[in-house]
Order: sequence, then C-alpha cells, then structure tokens
Amino acid sequence: MNPIFEEIKDAIVDGDEDLAIELAERVVAEKIDPVQAVQLGFIKGIEEVGAAWTSGEAFLPDVMMAADAMKAGMDVLEEVLAAGEGEGAYEDKGKIVLGTVEGDIHDIGKNIVGALLTSAGFKVYDIGIDQKAEDFVAKADEVGAKIIAASSLLTTTMKSQKVLVEYLDAQNLRDKYKVIIGGGPTSAKWGEDIGADGWAETADEAVDLCKKLLV
Amino acid sequence: MLPKFDVLTDEQINKIHKNSLKILQEIGVEFSYDPAIEVFKKHGQRVEGHRVFLDPDFVENMVEKAPAQFTLHARNPEHNLVCGGENIIYMPGYGAPFVYDADGGKRDATMADYDNFVKLAGASKNMHMTGGTVVEPTDVEDEIRHLKMAYSHIINSDKCFMGSSSGYEHAMDSIKLTAVLHGGMDVIKEKPALICLVNSVTPLKYDDRMLGGLMAYAETGQPMVIASLVMAGSTGPATMAGALSLQNAEVLAGITLTQCINPGTPVVYGSTSAVTDMSTGSLSIGNPENALFTSASAQFSRFYGVPCRGGGGLTDAKTVDAQAGYESMMVLFAASTTGVNFVLHTAGILQYYMAMSYEKFMVDDEIAGMVLRYLKGFDTDSDEKMAYDVIEAVGPGGHFLTQKHTRKNFKTEFFRPALSDRQSFDGWSKDSLDTNQRAKLKWQEVLASYTPPELDPAVKEKVEAFIEKRSKELLK
Repeated sequence: MNPIFEEIKDAIVDGDEDLAIELAERVVAEKIDPVQAVQLGFIKGIEEVGAAWTSGEAFLPDVMMAADAMKAGMDVLEEVLAAGEGEGAYEDKGKIVLGTVEGDIHDIGKNIVGALLTSAGFKVYDIGIDQKAEDFVAKADEVGAKIIAASSLLTTTMKSQKVLVEYLDAQNLRDKYKVIIGGGPTSAKWGEDIGADGWAETADEAVDLCKKLLV
Repeated sequence: MLPKFDVLTDEQINKIHKNSLKILQEIGVEFSYDPAIEVFKKHGQRVEGHRVFLDPDFVENMVEKAPAQFTLHARNPEHNLVCGGENIIYMPGYGAPFVYDADGGKRDATMADYDNFVKLAGASKNMHMTGGTVVEPTDVEDEIRHLKMAYSHIINSDKCFMGSSSGYEHAMDSIKLTAVLHGGMDVIKEKPALICLVNSVTPLKYDDRMLGGLMAYAETGQPMVIASLVMAGSTGPATMAGALSLQNAEVLAGITLTQCINPGTPVVYGSTSAVTDMSTGSLSIGNPENALFTSASAQFSRFYGVPCRGGGGLTDAKTVDAQAGYESMMVLFAASTTGVNFVLHTAGILQYYMAMSYEKFMVDDEIAGMVLRYLKGFDTDSDEKMAYDVIEAVGPGGHFLTQKHTRKNFKTEFFRPALSDRQSFDGWSKDSLDTNQRAKLKWQEVLASYTPPELDPAVKEKVEAFIEKRSKELLK
C-alpha cells in the first residue's frame, strides 16, 4: 500500500486542512490511484473520527476540522475522480444540500450538522446562510441530491422553511426530494405542520434521520 | 445593600479593555444596516463596505456620554425603577418559544401563556417589572405580535415592561403605544418608559433588525440593553479572557452607535456570554463560566460608568429538578452579589432559554426572594436592631420566643419562604409533594387570585384604538 494513504488518513484525523490539500495535490501530480486515496485515506480517516465521536472521545472541533480537511482534499481530487481515473468507483452514502433559510444568518448549528453528516459518509453541499427556496432546489438539481436540509434559528424565519416546502409543491418537485428541517425554535410538530419529511433536534439525530430517509 | 465583589483585578480590566479596543480598531464590526453606516461615516469613522473600524479615543468618548443611571417610568409611579447604582431589577425570562409542563411535556408557547407569565410577574413581590417577550406567542401572527405583547403588559400589570426591538417599524410601534399610555411622546422623551433588548450577532456583527430597533429607541430617547452573547468555543474563543474581550468589543460598538445617534441615551451594558457544550454544540448557561462572565460584565459596567444587565435563573435542565435549582441559584446569586442592575431571565427559564416553565417561574421567584433578602445584609443602625436590651432581659439560659422584640422583628428580619418546605418529616409526608408539584399548585393559586390593577378606561380606549389601527395596517 502506498504510504501516502496512511498520511492522508492521519491528516484527516488531525483535522489538518493544509496537509490534506497538499497530499491530495501529490496524489494528482504523481498519478496515484485517486479512488484508493479516497477509500484508504480520506474515508478511513473520517471513519476513525466518526467512531471516536460516537464513543464520546472526540468533540466538535475534532469532527468539524476533520470534515473541513476531508472536503478540502476531496475538492482537489474531484476532477480526476470525475474523469473516472483509478480502480473501481468511489461512492458516497448520499448527497445532501444544506443551508440556512432566507432571512436568517445563523450558521453554527448548520455547520455542525454538515460536519457530522460528512463524518457519517454523506456528501454535503453547504450553500450557506440566508438562502432562498429556489437556491436550495437549484443546488439539489445540479448535484443530484436526494435530501434538502434547511436550518432556522429564529421564530421569525421559521416560516421560510414552510416557503421551501411550498415552493417544491408549486414546482411539482415535492416527490423528488426529502426535506428535513432543524434549528432552535423548530419542533417535530412544526415539521409536521409544514409537511417536511423530517425534523431533528440535534446534529446526531439529523444523521440518523438522513440514514433512515435514504434507505 | 452589601458591598459588591470583583472577579477581575484593575490590571486585568485594563488588559481586556485594550484588547477590545484593538479588536474594534483593527478587525472592526460589521453593521448590515445602511442608516447605521451613515451615522458612523458622519462621525468620521473608517468604513469599508459594511465594516466599521472604530477609533479607540472615539469609543471611549462616546461611551462616556451614556448616563450612569436612569429612571424607567411605570404607569403606576410606585413601580418606577432606577436602573444603575446599587439597584437591582428582576423580571421574567425573555424569548422562549416553548413551554415545558410539570409532567415533562413540551408545547409551543401561546398568547394565553404570555398573559399568564405577565400576571405572575405582576403578582410577584420579587419581580420588579413584567419583562418583555415573556414567551414567543406562536399563535399570533408575526406582523402584530409586538402589539399584542405590549397590550398584555399594559393591561395585566402596572409595572414597567419592555418593548419590541424587532426592526425600526415594530420598535416605533411599541414606543408610540407606550407614549399613548403615558400621555404623549414628549412625556416619555422626558421620562423614559420603555426599554428594549438589542443583541449583537457574535462574532462582531449587528443585523438590520436589531439596528433598526436600536435607532428607533435612540432617536426617541428610550433606554435599551445592548447585549452580546458569546458562546465561548463556537461563536467566540474558548478562553475566558478572549471571549470577554470579544463581548466587550461588541457591546462597546453598540453603545457607541447609540451615543452617536442621541448623546445621553440611557443604555445598559448587557452580557449573556456563556460556553458551548463541545459534544453537542448547544449553548450551556447553567455553569460557573456564565457566572464569571456575568460578574466580569458588572465590573466592566462600573468601569465604563453604565448600568449592567446579566445573569438570571439560568439552567440547562429540562424540568424543575435539582439541576434547575442549583444552576439557577448560582447564576442569579453571582449576578446579584457582584453588581448587575438589570436581570432579564430572572424567572422561568429552562434549557438554555429554549423554554419557559410555570413551575420554574415559581422556583426562581423563591430564589429571587432569597437573594433579595441576602442583599439587604445586616441592619446595625439602631439599638433596637443591636438588641442588647432584650439579650439582657432574657439573660443566660432563657429564650426569646415570648419577647415583644422577637414578635416585632422576625417578620422583617427573616425571609419567609413561599415555596420551600420546612415541615417535619411527618408533616411533609402527608402529601409528599416535591418542589415541582408544590410549584404547580402555587402558580395556579396565584393566577386564580390575581386581579390586574385597573387601567383608566379613557387611556385603555386610546391604547386599544392605536393597536386596532396599526393591526389593520400591518395585516393588510
């Protein structure tokens, strides 16, 4: 086994974004098998972090920095992976578009959810804060996501989650995506009221919810 | 009042103050609201896009203009409150979207809950005002929520209350409505009668909504709390000194803006900084770090010569249990004994501001009564209080239970619990009720026997006419 895979794994576990990029660039430059780099390096690393999280040994900075390092390294490899280079194919556990709804600029909870989903093997497309319904849907369409996850921290912006579901209805796209919501003032009842496919109170529960929805 | 104690040395205060000024000068603060940017430009501050870089001398000069204390006027002058100095003001929790029941149930808060909490605060001798946004009444449309909430405070009590800061328009509605209650804008300009809560978005941002509110209150000379909630570890550094420097920078930036708009506007230095639970990312408020941030904020307020807001009956517990009690007591006691003047969230909060609980309200009301008694300290002013004569009269080996001196003094000297159980085991075990169950009976009893103070029918009519007119316009 190429020793670089072990180095990549360690870079992810250490949450070292710069090193993850550097190693990914070496994979491309030295024409090392990118699929193996992903499976034996990046995924191995994030799985290790995920396991430490589940057992309570890792804390949020550990998981979030690992997820950032993973994303940064994977971005470097994206082109060669898309070109079909390497033995076999790399497949994520599902694509999820994640963002904070229109009118709301809070993003910490959303970022935590993104990191935990990444560490659980999902491919997360984070579109950022203050995003309109059409922005969520455009991104989901572009990347072929199955789940749209919308966050809101304010009682005054929760209604934007409802707007998102209504927009999908109006565009006849409701069946194409699973919509999940979360954020401080939201609740299971609110999720039901607006016709979302799921609600989670914590980031861990959001991961479980996505696993359930993508079965 | 007892002397207040410090948690920072003068040297530490100076070091953190300088760190905050450096943050303001070199990193800057983002103000998303254009009218606020115009104000800073007019005052010669460096602006790049929406980021404002504040000159340290300018900040110090502006903060200097804010008054050390002010009087907040109630419709019943007996309830006027002085905010600042040695005074302390208690009020209910603020902004929770949920109500947790005694049996562990969770539900959306409603307008009926809103009225109930205002009444409980109105009835309590430990709550000096009825607060604001005592819950988020989720069954009322956003557009007119601020009017319904203000009406509840006006009609259910004659104590001071807080108004909306949710954008310029809603803030102005609250202010104008208060003016109707007090007899005109000129009256409340002279005698401030409404206070609001303006929060930064940590780190180093103020949003449109809050800045609109800030400008409305500053323009009309109404007081406001400028507060920052740094979640150390997530929205701020994981070190206490770093988080405090960041909080301090944000609050100073907000206070500076208020004094640019209207020099002398009463402001309260606010802090709700606490820590992030590093396993879940949640805010955590029932802890020694929060107590330290609160006490440090009181000290910074004294340093800047403005009143302080902080603390409360704060807990991360989800029900009224031992955790709810010990955490709430720690934070309220720390706030009260280190010089906080304005204690939002004194009563009712569960789970880091997410929920209000009727039972928790009664527990916190009890804690508030205990702390207020503690703050009164010892009275040594008279021979009567020194009690030499009665000690002489009883002499060695006697008892004091049948002395006139005892009968006369115990009621004012001793705190009398409203909720705590001091019975024998046999007495208690007749019903075997725990605090949660007793609190449930208690709030139901208080609500059932509360009669709101009467409001002059002519004023009531004007208030209702204002609300009706604005509601029609806003719901159009």
